[in-house]
Amino acid sequence: MRDDSLAQRAYWLIRLRWLAALSAAAGTFVCARVFGVALQERALYGIALLLLAYNFVLLVLLRHLTAAPGDRSLRGVTRAINVQISADLVILTVLLHFSGGIENPLAFFFIFHMIIASILLSVWESYLQATLAVLLFGLLALLEYSGAVSHHCLAGFVTHCQYQEGPYVLGTFLVFAVSLYLVVYMASTIAVRLRRAERAQAQANERLRAQDRIKDEYVARLTHDIKGHLAAIQTCLAVAIGGPINGQVADFIDRAYRRTQKLTAFVRILLRLTKLKLSGVPEMTVFSLSDAAGQAAETVRKRAEDKAIHLSCTLESSGPTVRADREAIGETVVNLLLNAIKYTPEQGTVSIEVRAEDDSVLLEISDTGIGVPPAELARIFDEFYRAANARQIERNGTGLGLSLAKQVIELHDGSISVFSTEGSGTTFRIVLPRARVRRTTASEVPADRHRISVR
Amino acid sequence: METRKVLIVDDDVDLCDSLKAILEKAGYTAATATSRAEGMEKMKTERPDLLVLDVMMETWHDGFEMSRELKQDPELRQTPILMLTSVEERTGVQVKSSAGDPDWLPVEAYLDKPVEPDVLLAEIGKLLESA
Repeated sequence: MRDDSLAQRAYWLIRLRWLAALSAAAGTFVCARVFGVALQERALYGIALLLLAYNFVLLVLLRHLTAAPGDRSLRGVTRAINVQISADLVILTVLLHFSGGIENPLAFFFIFHMIIASILLSVWESYLQATLAVLLFGLLALLEYSGAVSHHCLAGFVTHCQYQEGPYVLGTFLVFAVSLYLVVYMASTIAVRLRRAERAQAQANERLRAQDRIKDEYVARLTHDIKGHLAAIQTCLAVAIGGPINGQVADFIDRAYRRTQKLTAFVRILLRLTKLKLSGVPEMTVFSLSDAAGQAAETVRKRAEDKAIHLSCTLESSGPTVRADREAIGETVVNLLLNAIKYTPEQGTVSIEVRAEDDSVLLEISDTGIGVPPAELARIFDEFYRAANARQIERNGTGLGLSLAKQVIELHDGSISVFSTEGSGTTFRIVLPRARVRRTTASEVPADRHRISVR
Repeated sequence: METRKVLIVDDDVDLCDSLKAILEKAGYTAATATSRAEGMEKMKTERPDLLVLDVMMETWHDGFEMSRELKQDPELRQTPILMLTSVEERTGVQVKSSAGDPDWLPVEAYLDKPVEPDVLLAEIGKLLESA
């Protein structure tokens, strides 16, 4: 149970006790003066006063306890509640003794204490309190039965005293004991469930808050990056405006233009990510991954040649097939190849390989580039994350490319992993489930789509 | 009168260079640095009259830390800092409203990116006048 809610309930217990003390006094007055029941008035008012005084002490003590921080206060409050309930049981027993003992139906009030114990205490503590109540009540009945203590008969309420009639005493005691244990059983079962639900709720709230924080960070990051590009474009153009077009001005115009390209690429990849997150329904077709990889390699060949990078393709010609969104997979492979080319020095090698393996198809893109520092390897698929050495080569990268690749591949029930040695190269490995070689009937297609869209 | 020198610290090279050009056209001398470390170095070697400082460089709080470091340096604490950033609000961090807070963000002024060159020049002029 949470700290403050336990303390709140402890205060609630104290408020109840004010009420109990006043009711005891009022009840005594009404029974004795209005209905003429023979009561030990002085003793009963004394008990009510004692209850008031003891409650006041408890209030002061609780204020002191809850002022202390954390765990110590929590344990203190729990202990205080245990002691209070036990003391209340003793006081109720004494009250009962002065008002007719086992013949007084006030004995039902023990049930309230059991309910309170079940709500505030742990299950075993509640059973312990029930046992104490049963012992106290039994002791009272036994002492009065044996004559060890005097019995105060409730003349005017009962016609004859029954405290020494064995079967009556035993029967009342047994029903009393069973009632208390049953009440504790029922009340604590409910209380435990409520406490569990309360805890689950608190955890769910905490999770939501954490997600909200991540979302805020995400939006802050997006805004920052977009405004960064805009700021560069604006100031570069500001230099150009008004000045004669000389070499310096031309350079700034060129820079502004390249930043608009980067901003466009950023917005485009962002939209792609958002679309995936919102709908996540790829257009599924069966195609050869080798063909798709070959096409991707052709798309980037010019870029590789510009840097004198050798582009090597090892593609199984028979072509293992996958069931996937061809456009999304193709785009992912192109982006990984462009990445490899970007981070590989001139004269290096970028290779792409596709091979079948049991139920899956493997696609590997390797390069002889700068590699990823080992400490950063685990984070490179995180949104906006960029390794330090990658930042040095490309200052304004989006930090979203690998994250998008991971989302696309995982949406296809595949996986993407990375192996890298800093300074000598990186390999990205994509594993996709192999399309099953059998006729697809018309009825299966919607079922398959449904499975993907609900993820 | 001697020309006043402004140091721009921002990890965006395009922004650094274009701001430098704008400041030079307005009659200032300008120097640039693209990381916190380089910025601290140039604060000592270039001794600028004013610092234009970005927030997010290698980490998202580089600029915050650099401003605090500078204000603890007995020789450099007098240099006014103009924070120029597009970090609007991170979790629990209201940059704009905490600008000037001596413990958290001890800068003399704050401007949001992108900024109109006129606004920037006016702010720089104001800071140098009161310094």
